[in-house]
Amino acid sequence: MFKDLKYKLNEFWSEFRKVKSGVVGLVFLIIFILMIIFEPLISPFPEAGKRWRDITYWEDNSKSAPPVWTNLFTSKKYARSETLTAPIENVTDNGRVKITEYEFDYDYKADRPPGDIIFRTEATGNLLFITEIIRPDGETVSITRNNYNFSKPSNVRIALSNDSKNGAYELATKFDKENTLSIPKQSIDGFNILFSKVQENMASTHDPLKGTYKIKIRILNPGSTGVLENPRVIVSGSVSGILGTDNSKRDIWSGIVAGVKWAMLIGLLTSALSVAIGVIYGVISAYLGGFADSLLQRIYEIFVSMPVLPVLIVLGAVFKPSIWIMIIIMCVFFWTGPVKTVRSIGLQIKEETYIEASKAIGASNTRIIFKHMIPLLIPYSFASMALSVPSAIVYEATISMLGLGDPSITSWGQILQDANSAGAVIQGLWWWVVPPGLMISLVGMTFAFIGFAMDKILLPKLKTR
Amino acid sequence: MNMEKVLEVKNLKMYYFTSKGVVKAVDDISFELKKGETLGLVGESGCGKTTTGFSLLKMPSPPGKIVGGQILINGEDIMPLSENEMRKSVRWQKIAMVFQGAMNCLTPVYTIERQMMETLQLHKPMSKEEARETMKKYLGYVGLSEDILKRYPHELSGGMKQRVTIAMALFLEPEVIICDEPTTALDVVVQAQIINLLKDLKEKLKLSFIFITHDLATEAEVSDRIAVMYAGKIVEVGTNQQIYGEQGPAHPYTQKLLGATPKLHENVKELAFIPGTPPDLLEPPTGCRFHPRCPVAMEKCKKEEPILNEIEPNHFAACWRCLNEQ
Amino acid sequence: MNSEYLVEVKDLKKWFPVRRDFSQVIKKERKFVKAVDGVSFGIKKGEIFALIGESGCGKTTTAKMIMKLHEATAGQLIFENNDVTNVDKKRLLEYRKEVQMIFQDPYASMNPRFKVRDVLEEPLLIHKLYADRDERLEKMKDGLSKVKITPPEEFLERYPHMLSGGQRQRIATARSLMLSPKLVVMDEPVSMIDLSTRAEILYMLKELKNEMDLTYLYITHDLSTARYFTDRIAVMYLGKVVEMGTPEQIIDNSLHPYTKALIAAVCEPKSGKVNIVKEVPIKGEIPSAANIPQGCRFHPRCPYAKPSCISNPEPKLIEHNNDHFVACDRYKEI
Repeated sequence: MFKDLKYKLNEFWSEFRKVKSGVVGLVFLIIFILMIIFEPLISPFPEAGKRWRDITYWEDNSKSAPPVWTNLFTSKKYARSETLTAPIENVTDNGRVKITEYEFDYDYKADRPPGDIIFRTEATGNLLFITEIIRPDGETVSITRNNYNFSKPSNVRIALSNDSKNGAYELATKFDKENTLSIPKQSIDGFNILFSKVQENMASTHDPLKGTYKIKIRILNPGSTGVLENPRVIVSGSVSGILGTDNSKRDIWSGIVAGVKWAMLIGLLTSALSVAIGVIYGVISAYLGGFADSLLQRIYEIFVSMPVLPVLIVLGAVFKPSIWIMIIIMCVFFWTGPVKTVRSIGLQIKEETYIEASKAIGASNTRIIFKHMIPLLIPYSFASMALSVPSAIVYEATISMLGLGDPSITSWGQILQDANSAGAVIQGLWWWVVPPGLMISLVGMTFAFIGFAMDKILLPKLKTR
Repeated sequence: MNMEKVLEVKNLKMYYFTSKGVVKAVDDISFELKKGETLGLVGESGCGKTTTGFSLLKMPSPPGKIVGGQILINGEDIMPLSENEMRKSVRWQKIAMVFQGAMNCLTPVYTIERQMMETLQLHKPMSKEEARETMKKYLGYVGLSEDILKRYPHELSGGMKQRVTIAMALFLEPEVIICDEPTTALDVVVQAQIINLLKDLKEKLKLSFIFITHDLATEAEVSDRIAVMYAGKIVEVGTNQQIYGEQGPAHPYTQKLLGATPKLHENVKELAFIPGTPPDLLEPPTGCRFHPRCPVAMEKCKKEEPILNEIEPNHFAACWRCLNEQ
Repeated sequence: MNSEYLVEVKDLKKWFPVRRDFSQVIKKERKFVKAVDGVSFGIKKGEIFALIGESGCGKTTTAKMIMKLHEATAGQLIFENNDVTNVDKKRLLEYRKEVQMIFQDPYASMNPRFKVRDVLEEPLLIHKLYADRDERLEKMKDGLSKVKITPPEEFLERYPHMLSGGQRQRIATARSLMLSPKLVVMDEPVSMIDLSTRAEILYMLKELKNEMDLTYLYITHDLSTARYFTDRIAVMYLGKVVEMGTPEQIIDNSLHPYTKALIAAVCEPKSGKVNIVKEVPIKGEIPSAANIPQGCRFHPRCPYAKPSCISNPEPKLIEHNNDHFVACDRYKEI
C-alpha cells in the first residue's frame, strides 16, 4: 500500500511540474507556508498576532503613516522612524533637588515632520519632567511639564506631538502675529510649525527647516532619591514599516504576516470540508436517482433557503465566538455550494458507458461512486475549493464585523473590516486596504492555479489539447 | 468523357499546426470533378478525407491552415478570395456541404421552416412567400411533404433529417455538393433510400457530388470515379469499373481494403486485413506512406515517394510496383 | 432440450413507462415503450449467436437484460439451467463473473482516468480473485498477451486516449476475459473500428473463443460481418424476433419480408451499379416502440401485407425447416 502511494505521488509530481501555472501556484503556497513558519523573524512586531487589539503595544507608531518606500516616489520626503539613544547627560545635585538633563540630537533631513517624538525611560521617585526643543535657528520651544510619583520602577512615556501645540502657537505668534491669531489654536499642527522655517504665514505654509534639533529633557527630582534608567527618544516617522500603519497605529505588515496562518486555516478547512461534503452529497444524489434523489434535493433546498445571517447571529449569541465554531458554522452553509453542479455532472457521468461497463463487471455502488465518479469531480472540486477559499475569508470578516468574530486572532478580514469602518478608502489610506485585499486574492489565485494544474493532470483528455 | 470540369483541385495542402508539430492532414492532393459526376473520396478515419471536404469550402477547423494549392470552380480560383467574399459568393452558392451528423446540424429549438428560411434569406433576398415556395419545391425533390415545415427536428426520424439537410444544400443550386458520410449514422434500409435519393437528384438536377465515406461498398453504389486516400495523400484514382470491376484496383492499399470489406453474398471463411495501424501524420514514414503495411513493398518504396501516375486511361495510382508492371 | 443451451431467454419483455401528463394520471392510463416485447431464443455452448436489426429494434436492450443491467419486465432468463431472472446480490455477483460484455465504443467503455493497468485490474479487485499484487500483474500481462498486445508491460502504463481504436477494443476484450467468463455479450464490437483492422479483431475474437471455450452473443446491424463471424442469426424488428437461422438460411434463403428488405438494402462493393436506382422494397422507417401496430407489427411497411395481417393475431415464430424459424403467416406465399 505504502509503495503504491509513493509511486503515485512520484508520478503525480513528474506530471505536475510540466504545468507552469501549477508551479507558480505551488511557489506561492510555499511562500505562504514559509511566512507562517518564520513569522517571528519577518514580523517587526512579533507579538502582533496576540496583541493586535492592545493599544499600548502600538503606541510608539504614527497614526495612518504610509509605507517607508513611498518616499522613493514623492518629491517631499517624510521623516523616518528612528530611536535616539546615548544623550548628552548632565547631572547637578544641590542636595535638595537633583536635576538630570538629557540632550538628544535629532538630525532632521526630511520635508515632512515626524508623526511623534516620544521620550521613554524607566523611573522611580517623585519626578518632574520638563521637555523642550531647541531648533537649529536657536529658537527654544518648551513643550511639556509632567509630574510623576513612582514608588517602584515604572515606564515613563512622554509624547510630544499633541502637547507641542502651545509652544508652536507661541513661536508662530512671535514671528507672524497677525496671521497666526486668525487661526484657532486647536486647528494647528504643532510639529508642522515646529519643524518649519520662520517666515510670514508660517502658521499655514510650512517650509521645512532642516538641521539638528536638540530635544532637551530636564528632570527635577526633589530629595534626590529618584532613579532614571535607559532614557531614549523614539522618533516615530511619518512613514512607517513595510506597509504603513492604520489609524490605530498598528503596523499593517505585521498584521498581514500574522493573518497568513488564519487565512490558510479558515480558507482551507472551510472549503475542504464543505466541498467534500457537497461533492459526496451531490454524487450520491445523482447516482441513486429516483426517490432518494428527490429527498436529498429537498433537504438541500432547505439549507439553501435558510437565511445565513440571522442564524449566524443567534448561533453567535449562543456559542462563544471561536474560530473553530465559526468554521463549523460556515461549513453548515457552504457545503451547498457545489451540490447542484456536482449533481448535474454526476447525472452525466452516470450515463457513461464505462459506468455501465464496471457495473457489468460487478462493481458495487460504493465502488462506482468513489472510484469512478468522484475522481472525475476532483478538478471541479479543486476549482470550487479555490473559489470558496476567499469567500470563506471574507465571510469570516463579515462575521467579525457583527461582533461575532474571534477576538483572539488577527485575520485579513478583520484588517479589511477595520479599514472599511474607518473609511480608509475615502481618506486615501490605500496601504491599509490594498495589502489585505491583495493577499486574499493571492491566496485565491494560488489555489486556483494549483487546482487547474491538477485538473490537467487528473483529466488526461485535457493534456492532448 | 469530354465534359467540362466544375471543380479542379491542384496541389492542395492543409496542415494542422499543433503544439506537438505540424500534422500534414492533406498533403499535396489534386483531383477534378466533371459536371454531373460523382467523385468518391474514400479512406479510413484520419486519412484526411473530411479535412479535404472542409478545405474545399476554405473552412479548415483550427488549428488547421490551408498552406498551398488552388481550388478552381468553373476555372475560377477561389484561393485568393477573402473570408467575406467566400461567404457571400462561394459557400452555399457554388459549393455546399451535407455534414456527417445531419441530426446535429439542425437547431433543436427552431421549426424546420424557420431554419430553412434563415438559410435561404441569408443568401438570396426574397419574400417569405417566395421562400416558402422554394422550400416546398426542394422538399418535393427530396421526397418530403410540406407539413414537416411546422415540425421540430426531434419530431423527425434520422432519415427525414438527412433529407432536410440535403434540401437545404440544394437551395441555391450549387455547382458542387460535398456529402460527408451522409449515410453512416443511418440504418441500412434508410441508407439505401438516401443513396437512391442522391442518384435521383443527380439525374434530375445535373448535380456534381463529392461523396466522402469510409465504406467502399457504399462508394461502389454511388460514385462514378473513386479517389482513395491514405495518410493525407491520394493513392489511387479510377472509374467505378476500374476499382470494383473484374480486374480490381491497382494500388495494394485499395486491394487490401477491398479485401477487408465483407461481402454479403459471398461466403468467405477468412476476411483479409491490413496489419498495423495508419501512420501518425506528425511523423509520416519516408518514401511511400503505405510501405510499412504493404505486403509487396520494395526497397525503393522506403526511400522515394511515388507520385500519381496514369497506368491506364483515367486510372491513376501512386505506387512504384504499378509503374514497374506497366 | 434445455441442456443444450448455455443461455436461454423465454418471452423476455422490457417495457419502459412513458411519462404521463396530468389527464393520463387521472384516467389511470399507462403507456409503455415496448423496447423488447416477447423475445425467446437460446444460445448453445460454444456458439456465436447474432442479434441483428435496425436501431431501435431492441437488440441492445435484450443484451442489457441478459447482462442484468436492465431488469426484465416479464419473461425468464435461464443460465446453465438456472433461472436467474430474479437473483439476490450474492448470486448476481457470481453471475457477473460468468457473463461479460464488450461495448461498441471501447473508448467510452473505459474510464479516461484509468490506465490500462487500472482497467484490467478492476474485475480482479471486485471479485477479490488474487490478494497479491504481483499475482494480479501476472494475470493482467497474461490477459494482454492473449489479445496480442505486446509488450504488455509497456501498455499497462498507458491511458486509453494514447491507444488506437483497435488497441482499445483489444484492451476491452482483455478486460472482459479477465474473469474467464462463459458468455461474452458484444454490442457492435467492431463498428467503430477502421475497416483495415476490423477483420483482425474479429479473427482474434474467433481464436479466443476456441481457445477459452467461450460463447458469444454478437449484437450488430451489419449483416455482412455477421455472415462471416456468426453461427446463428436472429433478426429483430420492433422488439420481436422475426426470423432466426444459420447465416446461409437467413441471407441466402430468407423467408421474412423484412429480412429480404434488409438484404436488398445492403451495399456491395461491386461495379456497375452507379446508374441503377436500387429497389428498396420497404418504405419509411421503423415506427416508435411506443406505438406498436396491431396484428403483425411489420404490416405497415410490408409490401405483401393483406388485411388478414392486421386482423389476425400476431404471427408466432414457427419452424420452417432445420432450425430455421420465421414469424410470418404468409411467408410461403411470397
